[in-house]
Amino acid sequence: MKDIHPWPRLWASLLILYTWVSCISSSGTQTSLIARLPSTTRAEAVARAKNLAAHSWVCGVQNLHASCSRIYKSDWASGQHITGIPYNWGGVDGPDLFDQKLVRGLAAGSHSRYGVLSCTAGIDCSAFVTLCWGLPTTGHAYSTSNIRTIAGKLKANVFTDLKPGDALNKPGSHVVLFTGYNRDGTFNICEASGSAARVICHATTWSRFRGYIALQYKGIDD
Amino acid sequence: MTRLFAVAVLCTSAVLLVSGGEGRPQVEVRTVEMTHVIRIPLTAVGSQETSQASGKDSAILATSPGAAEELPEGPDGFDILDDGGILISDPLRNRVVTFDSQGKLRQSWNIGFAADSIRVLPDGRALIREANTGQLHAFDREGKTIPGEVSPPLDAAQAQKLTATSGSISNGKGNSITVHLERVGQSLVSLQGLAVDNTGKLYVALESTSGELTEGINVNKTVRKYDANGNLLSETTNLPLNYYIPPVDELRVRKGKIYQLMTTSSEVEINIWDMN
Repeated sequence: MKDIHPWPRLWASLLILYTWVSCISSSGTQTSLIARLPSTTRAEAVARAKNLAAHSWVCGVQNLHASCSRIYKSDWASGQHITGIPYNWGGVDGPDLFDQKLVRGLAAGSHSRYGVLSCTAGIDCSAFVTLCWGLPTTGHAYSTSNIRTIAGKLKANVFTDLKPGDALNKPGSHVVLFTGYNRDGTFNICEASGSAARVICHATTWSRFRGYIALQYKGIDD
Repeated sequence: MTRLFAVAVLCTSAVLLVSGGEGRPQVEVRTVEMTHVIRIPLTAVGSQETSQASGKDSAILATSPGAAEELPEGPDGFDILDDGGILISDPLRNRVVTFDSQGKLRQSWNIGFAADSIRVLPDGRALIREANTGQLHAFDREGKTIPGEVSPPLDAAQAQKLTATSGSISNGKGNSITVHLERVGQSLVSLQGLAVDNTGKLYVALESTSGELTEGINVNKTVRKYDANGNLLSETTNLPLNYYIPPVDELRVRKGKIYQLMTTSSEVEINIWDMN
């Protein structure tokens, strides 16, 4: 009979043990992350979205220029009355923080073509959705690429069974908050829109969302 | 007796099959392939060249490529004039550009704001929506501002999805027609009235699906033409939906032709299906 060396067996056993411990640990981390997520109702999520889209502000002359950028161009005019928190790539500002930054003279909104700027105020798509879910606005913890850690993929029929407060996400691209279906089968969303330069709520069609995945926030209180 | 009953059942089934189960004769439906494409060049603008900078009279439209967490921006609104001419928004340069039916530059309207939606009214005025505020502005055929408050135009038709394979839609004159999706394995997702012409013909956009795939939401989209009595006359082939810039104005109907705004990373395509 062939003599079998004990080391390979030992290594294999250790590998299995390591994998098992990792899985347990990862599962525990995920469970504790979900436990730490703030709980929110669907109505609260939609109300926050509508509040961000309805936020009124006036662009002052000091909010037209970004002190940290020479190439920045504003979307607004001095004295213009605007409804909706402005789109700001990389921004995480809710209404209160945004208003404070306006008073401090930061520029209102920005786009990726001007680079990452620290002297602008507003919110981007993923910060908007996570803010609607009641997550704190300190830092930009979640993007379209890692939002799945706090929101699970829905197994329901996306065309009929989404609920207000769910999200449609395309990793690395864009995310929006679903707010309801229309009688004709189209649906309503709220989003921080770069092309509209602000947070807006509007009706849309499914063809615009090819490749998006429906998500439900893990802290949703049904 | 049993034999007679079986014959009666068979005859009834045959009649229902031929009539589509609705007691009206089935009309042969024409499938319309894409007739042609008008191509308008598009260029990516850097941070140095946006609304206030160069390119104001150019036939080349502008796009911003976006980044992670930001969709590309650029032409997302359009409409068609009676002569087949095209109006397209060029929001990064604060203008609307007009082309003839072959895609040759006619005029550049420096409107002074980023536009995301255009609607040409029967009287020739163009209602142009300001992307950053949602406000509507009226312009004449030469691109000059028409002062005064502007009301949004009424929807062409009200639609309702009834079941996974049917819906209803009004033609704006008090009549309602029923829309049936008869595609194996497909269910109806949405239906939208696009236009009603002066003979009562109704154009309806249908979205359908075979279900959500692991890669995410997947739909097919076609446009159908119905006569005033609700008979389906023709239907486009599946519309291409791989938008680089998601359109605000996706479809327009003018003189029996369907126009689709499709912005790719290198050009704006106006896809046309002639339903006449």
